[in-house]
Amino acid sequence: MGGIELRGATKRFALPDRELTALDSIDMTIPEGAFAALIGPSGCGKSTLLRMIADVLQPTEGQIAVAGQPPKAARLSHRIGFVFQAATLLPWRTVRENVRLPLEIAGVTPRRSPEALIDLVGLHGFEDARPAQLSGGMQQRVAIARALVLEPSVLLMDEPFGALDEITRQRMNVELLRIWKESGTTAVLVTHSISEAVFMADTVHVLSANPGRLAGSVEIDLPRPRSLGQMKLPAFNALENAVRDLLFLDDRPAEQAPRRPKVAAVGS
Amino acid sequence: MDRDRLTALASAVWPPAATFAALLAMLEIASGAGWLPITVPPPSAVIAEFGTSGADLLYHVWPSILATVAGFAISALVAAGFAAVGASWRRAGGPVFTLGVLVDSTPLIAVAPILVAFIGGGMTLHVVVAAVACFFSILMGMMKGFRAVDRNSDELFHVLAASRWQRLVKLALPSALPFVFAGFKIAAPLAVLGTLIAEWMGAERGVGIMMIYAMFSFDPPQVWMTIVAVCLMAIGGYSLFAVAERAFLGWADRDEGRL
Repeated sequence: MGGIELRGATKRFALPDRELTALDSIDMTIPEGAFAALIGPSGCGKSTLLRMIADVLQPTEGQIAVAGQPPKAARLSHRIGFVFQAATLLPWRTVRENVRLPLEIAGVTPRRSPEALIDLVGLHGFEDARPAQLSGGMQQRVAIARALVLEPSVLLMDEPFGALDEITRQRMNVELLRIWKESGTTAVLVTHSISEAVFMADTVHVLSANPGRLAGSVEIDLPRPRSLGQMKLPAFNALENAVRDLLFLDDRPAEQAPRRPKVAAVGS
Repeated sequence: MDRDRLTALASAVWPPAATFAALLAMLEIASGAGWLPITVPPPSAVIAEFGTSGADLLYHVWPSILATVAGFAISALVAAGFAAVGASWRRAGGPVFTLGVLVDSTPLIAVAPILVAFIGGGMTLHVVVAAVACFFSILMGMMKGFRAVDRNSDELFHVLAASRWQRLVKLALPSALPFVFAGFKIAAPLAVLGTLIAEWMGAERGVGIMMIYAMFSFDPPQVWMTIVAVCLMAIGGYSLFAVAERAFLGWADRDEGRL
């Protein structure tokens, strides 16, 4: 029962002049131990969706279940690990102390020591370093170790490598798959890179914007363990195109007049 | 490694030290040649004054230090209260800030005589004026500090299901410290200045009243000695917090939260 269920999950924000529907009736099932990717244009509500699963935001309508519990219960029983786009490490703590933070807050002794997790994310020897001494990629590894230290049922990641360069990012993705496999957790990755989504996930859920709706889901049947070499295969490209089709459903040639001429065409 | 650090320290210290020494030497020469007004004694005379009137100076400096420290401590406590209210209750933030600006923009030199009428000219006055003088800097540092927690850290502690107490101790206070120290470092010399002004209004003991006596008895070396003493007090206060900051906040980025 470590999966995630969304039934009609809807989020509306009250603006001064109107009501904004950020997410409209999302139905989604992420099985236990699976790796799901959420992809969509800016403003499609993918971060909002992730934050609703983590009980940072509450849905206006609909139900969410995390490991068979409401999100709040799952959060309070420390079953949720969250990785932000920024590493969000506490600068006054060392790597070891940062990874240990969730243990201190939950008041538990772990089955797996923080040191073992630091090894798992490939930072052996940096236990006593301060975040400021680490590169962006290394900081994000620490954040992943911290998210895993309580052995959460679900690992939620909001564009964790968005700030990294392409090369580091692909390396980190390979690492992340290894870590995910070893930890056995259910993973949800928010991204706006099509190739990253296809490379990582079992299922890619594509969201469309205004209002945020589930445009469709693409099952990724590429064999695991995944390797960067697979990205060159025709099957990989076909899956990328399937995602791309869902992302650009209302696509028309760039040279044609826009469908809604009232909207200023600046930057389009 | 230690030798490198020592070399680095030496190379950081010697240029200003050499400049300072050269300046003193020039003053000494100018004074000997009779180019300076009679109110500016040669540095050697001021140094000699420390020898002859050192005991007197100590007698007067102690109560000044006491008033400064007491005023600073009271100011910090009051500011902490206001900053906590201002930070935890959004609507109070504006009024608290206004209060700080009001206190800061009040000319101490004009208000001190009025305060004398209220609370007399003794130690209490010195403490109060010192407290008022450093209030704004301390308040600003604390208010900025209490709001220094960024949104992601806030969400992190929410997801981790941290209690209010854990949030305060593990997140809010450590985040606030660099700003609080920045405020303290500015405030310490201001508290010294406040004490000095209050002592001018009237005191039995204090470096301020010693300065006034020396002025009225036309003793330039002694006036300059008291000026140097006040400078040393101000620098001492600043350095105290700079050293404490280094000890507690070795993690902080060199420029972050520093003013």
